[in-house]
Amino acid sequence: MAAPSSLRVRAYNVGFGDCILLSFGYPDGSARHALVDFGSTKLPAKGASLTQVAEHIRTETDGHLAMVAATHRHADHISGFAGEPGKIVARLAPRLVVQPWTEDPDLAPDATAPASAPARPGSLAAAVARLDTMHAYAASAVAEYQRRLAAGDRTDLLAAVGFLGEVNLKNAAAVRTLQQMGEQRLYARFGDVLPLDDALPGVRIDVLGPPTLDQAAGLVAEARTDPDEYWHVATSTLAPSRAKGLFPRATVAAERTQEARWLAPRVDRLRTEELLSIVRTIDDALNNTSLILLVTIGATSVLLAGDAQLENWSYALRDAPDAAAIRARLAGCRLYKVGHHGSLNATPKTMLWQNFGTAARPEADKLITVLSTLAGKHGSPARGTEVPRRPLVDALRAESTLLDTRSATKARFWVDTTIEV
Amino acid sequence: MAASRARKFTVVAQDPGVRRRGRVVTGTVSLPYEELDPGPVGHRVHVVDYDATRRVLLAPAEIVDGGPLPSAQQILTDPGFHAQNVYAVVMATLLRFESALGRRVSWGFPAHQLKVVPHAFEMANAFYSADDEALLFGWFRRAGKPVFTCLSHDIVVHETTHALVDGLRKGFMRPSSADQAAFHEGFADVVALLSVLAMDEITTALVTTTAKVRGGMVDRSAVTAEALRRGLLFGLAEQMDPGLSAARIDALRRSVELTPAPRILALAEFAEPHRRGEVLVAAVMNAFLDVWQHRLAPLGAGDGRGGIDLRRVAEEGAVVAQQLLTAAIRGIDYTPPIHLTFGEFLSAVLTADTEVRADDTRYGLRDALVRWFAAYGITPAGEGPGGLWPRSELALVRDGIRFGSLRSDTTEMFRLLWSNRTALGLQQPAYTRVTSVRPCLRVGPEDGLPVQETVAECLQYLDITAAELGRFGLVAPAGMPDDQRVVLQGGSTLVLDEYGTLKYQIRNTVPGDGDPASAAEAQERLQYLWDHGYLREGASFVNRLSDLHRLRALAGPVDPAQEW
Repeated sequence: MAAPSSLRVRAYNVGFGDCILLSFGYPDGSARHALVDFGSTKLPAKGASLTQVAEHIRTETDGHLAMVAATHRHADHISGFAGEPGKIVARLAPRLVVQPWTEDPDLAPDATAPASAPARPGSLAAAVARLDTMHAYAASAVAEYQRRLAAGDRTDLLAAVGFLGEVNLKNAAAVRTLQQMGEQRLYARFGDVLPLDDALPGVRIDVLGPPTLDQAAGLVAEARTDPDEYWHVATSTLAPSRAKGLFPRATVAAERTQEARWLAPRVDRLRTEELLSIVRTIDDALNNTSLILLVTIGATSVLLAGDAQLENWSYALRDAPDAAAIRARLAGCRLYKVGHHGSLNATPKTMLWQNFGTAARPEADKLITVLSTLAGKHGSPARGTEVPRRPLVDALRAESTLLDTRSATKARFWVDTTIEV
Repeated sequence: MAASRARKFTVVAQDPGVRRRGRVVTGTVSLPYEELDPGPVGHRVHVVDYDATRRVLLAPAEIVDGGPLPSAQQILTDPGFHAQNVYAVVMATLLRFESALGRRVSWGFPAHQLKVVPHAFEMANAFYSADDEALLFGWFRRAGKPVFTCLSHDIVVHETTHALVDGLRKGFMRPSSADQAAFHEGFADVVALLSVLAMDEITTALVTTTAKVRGGMVDRSAVTAEALRRGLLFGLAEQMDPGLSAARIDALRRSVELTPAPRILALAEFAEPHRRGEVLVAAVMNAFLDVWQHRLAPLGAGDGRGGIDLRRVAEEGAVVAQQLLTAAIRGIDYTPPIHLTFGEFLSAVLTADTEVRADDTRYGLRDALVRWFAAYGITPAGEGPGGLWPRSELALVRDGIRFGSLRSDTTEMFRLLWSNRTALGLQQPAYTRVTSVRPCLRVGPEDGLPVQETVAECLQYLDITAAELGRFGLVAPAGMPDDQRVVLQGGSTLVLDEYGTLKYQIRNTVPGDGDPASAAEAQERLQYLWDHGYLREGASFVNRLSDLHRLRALAGPVDPAQEW
């Protein structure tokens, strides 16, 4: 079968999340489709539900998906694979389902045998087990958020804990669907080339991330100490309150002194800030398990980055033995799906963005960028961490042809572009 | 009860993990007597036992003088002991600073009493929060058993040091350079480690665990520099409760093992603040070991068995630790108020120590510091003999200056500066402010004579745009837009003698004085701030020490040049 002659990249407006449908047009008029991510943690005020999006994908693909890729397990990337929309997608019977190596069930801790020997420190299985510990922490943080919310705490700080905590829940139903879906499941790492001869003839997809632990020691969290020890301790601090207090025989103060009245609310706030910081660390660690996919048809290539952040990018762009060759290939990219909904550190400024050489490109070869995002959900402008980050969006607008899901409408709940190859 | 002149407190010498014959190693802290309210609450420290995880406030602890040494079980389960332990260690650290600096030392916030929360939350972290005027100590469970950061001597000293340095030099918390970013953590580690080693109970316990003791004597081979380095410091790291703070143990191990290399600070790995701070720790701790070894060399000779009295080994170690600690703390007064480099810190320590302890032959402390800092590529910034700051030769105009006020009044000090603004090299267009004036009375340990000084900090700011940088001899970094706001900062520390005569002016001026060296330094700082995103709209320095401590445990690589 000949190579595709066109590629349509469509980003559905799923609010804060990603849902990218790649449609490969073949010279004989046929088309094959690949879905990259399907999830949201906050749908747009005026837009489609995930079920409507799933139904639309079914229609568009004529009931068949060649490939599904779930870049990482964050809810805003895989929640659509659970529940009703998940059932719809599963019925599209993808031939190949691709996930990062961290999702390999053979590496997962045995949930039915908690007493079994722990994974060897530093091993892939230990890294995967650590992700589970992080989920447990996120779940405890969400429970804490809900308790405090019920007690009347309406602070932005607590809301941020709730939002990030929920993003980092395990998404067990979606994970299960992905583990059962498709004819062939592949858990990919840097350096892999996906086997697409049957599913997508004429298409090459290189996996540029995530690296394995051997390739990049800093993948999950470049801990200065034993990270498992840290997360083990951290999780124990959020266990549900026990019947006995810390000092069961100590006398509780009958009333708060002046100092305590001033200080106690501040200590409460500091504790919430600590919670938020730890949940942010978890969020970063999971983002760095993202698949980075370079889709190539002939001389045309498209880069899809999930939520990869610096630790993940650094290997392909700087530390890998063939990093220079990779950078040279990326310099000619036609389209870039902006990483992590436009956050400040998911599109490495000099290593990636400046490498695209946007200023020197002729108009016909102008870089196309796709941004799937929703403002006001993540980060803070005052701290320079808002998502999407304003200076990045300014650069995308000024230096590329930007497709932004926020410009989608209720009736046409996607943005797309077709590239002739 | 009649007030005695001192009050003794039993404290945990390191942490509950360090034991001798099954007992937690404890030490005694002697504090000047003050009438404490339950809490304890004294004139500088107010313990509030509030737990934000359960939102429970415990009744203030009553302080009981005397009594038997607490058992290991009591140490772990009695919140009253925890409150007393943290109170005593914080106060002892404060007193150590006050004794070294020869004056009262304020916290880094306007209030007089530092709030200390021994069981602030169930979290594996402890930190100083200037905004909340508090030290907060977390606790957590490990293998089902509670672990308390408030019982770790070095953690309590480390956090207290942050609060004290913040009071002495606000400017050190601002973004400036890789050295300054690393200094707070590195210095807090140095003070914490030396404070622990200044207790001979802990050195005795550690030497005992790493060497054979017979009849109170240890073999000379157990106290060579290498044996002390490996056995004592590494032993300390090994014995610390790993659940308490794996990060600091790891930092200690790495500092001890850091191979000297003159170009080490130029390596990318050591641009990161925590790693860079470990270089400071390594230089100081190796100097400590050298001096200790130097003190032990003449001992035990001629006894035919090569044995040395263990008690003497421990006492010498404690004395050296105290001397070094005093010199390091004193050095803060001789640092510039902003833009500190490790080389400036070294000159500050050398100068401060020389002022009160001119003859160093007994310890060879300054030689050891110069040698070990040089081994890590750090040379004194001072151009005076031996790396000291050069004495000022300026004869200041003092017409109309009231000398009595000059020792404590910022307005009077400003008048002195203003009258001498040209001679002192103050930049005319810059906003200028005297931020502190502190009278000090230090006593030389060798001759017992007092050294009376006044230390003043003067800061200058220039608020300009990138387009104006050329006027100040600077070049905008590549990519910086013309309308980028840039605040250039500088300042001087002035040390005056008892007659109000200027002894030292230690300065990092705002650029524009035509001095190529200061322009080059300012250009380097400007590049650092730009590269690290500190000039970005909305950007902030990581000034929450809670973040700093957690990042020390979990930090992944950060490259501001890759961020938006």
